[in-house]
Amino acid sequence: MTTTVTISDGALAVGEARPCDGAGAWVSFEGIVRGDEAGRPISALVYETYEPMAQRVLTSLGEELASRHGLLAVHVEHSRGRVAVGGCSFRLSIASAHRKEALAAMDEFIDRMKRDAPIWKRPQWAVTPMSA
Amino acid sequence: MRIEVLLFGPERDAAGVDRVRVEIDGEPTCAALRAALGTGTPALLPVLRSARFAVNGRFADDAHRIGAGDEVALIGMVSGG
Repeated sequence: MTTTVTISDGALAVGEARPCDGAGAWVSFEGIVRGDEAGRPISALVYETYEPMAQRVLTSLGEELASRHGLLAVHVEHSRGRVAVGGCSFRLSIASAHRKEALAAMDEFIDRMKRDAPIWKRPQWAVTPMSA
Repeated sequence: MRIEVLLFGPERDAAGVDRVRVEIDGEPTCAALRAALGTGTPALLPVLRSARFAVNGRFADDAHRIGAGDEVALIGMVSGG
């Protein structure tokens, strides 16, 4: 079983991870920066991380879920710093023998990451032109 | 004992600084630190009840005893993803 966690500056590039041998399911989720926060337009989100704790929490979570759900691989990627609207800030890719365990682990991982991983985001509000 | 507490995100914005120093008289537990932070930095009061402490990068409960040289962070509501 493999767990990798990468925290890097800016928007995530196109994912390069691929399913490992033995995988019958490959589930990948990408979080994309939406153009608004609570209805107010934004230009970007700026992510702040407390490292190495964030790395440790995400790794531990991946390993725990891999063990409990019998996963083959968990790959976590998260941005730090500025990610413009439309950019990818989070990617979770899970390989397993069958789809059910990967889908269940995906949902649980994201819920627990949002509760426990020391990562914060701050909106950069879009500048709207002043009306004449 | 003097403890430096790292602040992030909304808690840093509320306090206006990225770290605060707190003097603890008596047993330096996370519970004592929580109380002292509320007194010394009232701007943090609204979040202190629900916020957690991390000691050396791991969440610590209120009974945890903080040692000299430990890295302590206040972790409020997080928002990754």
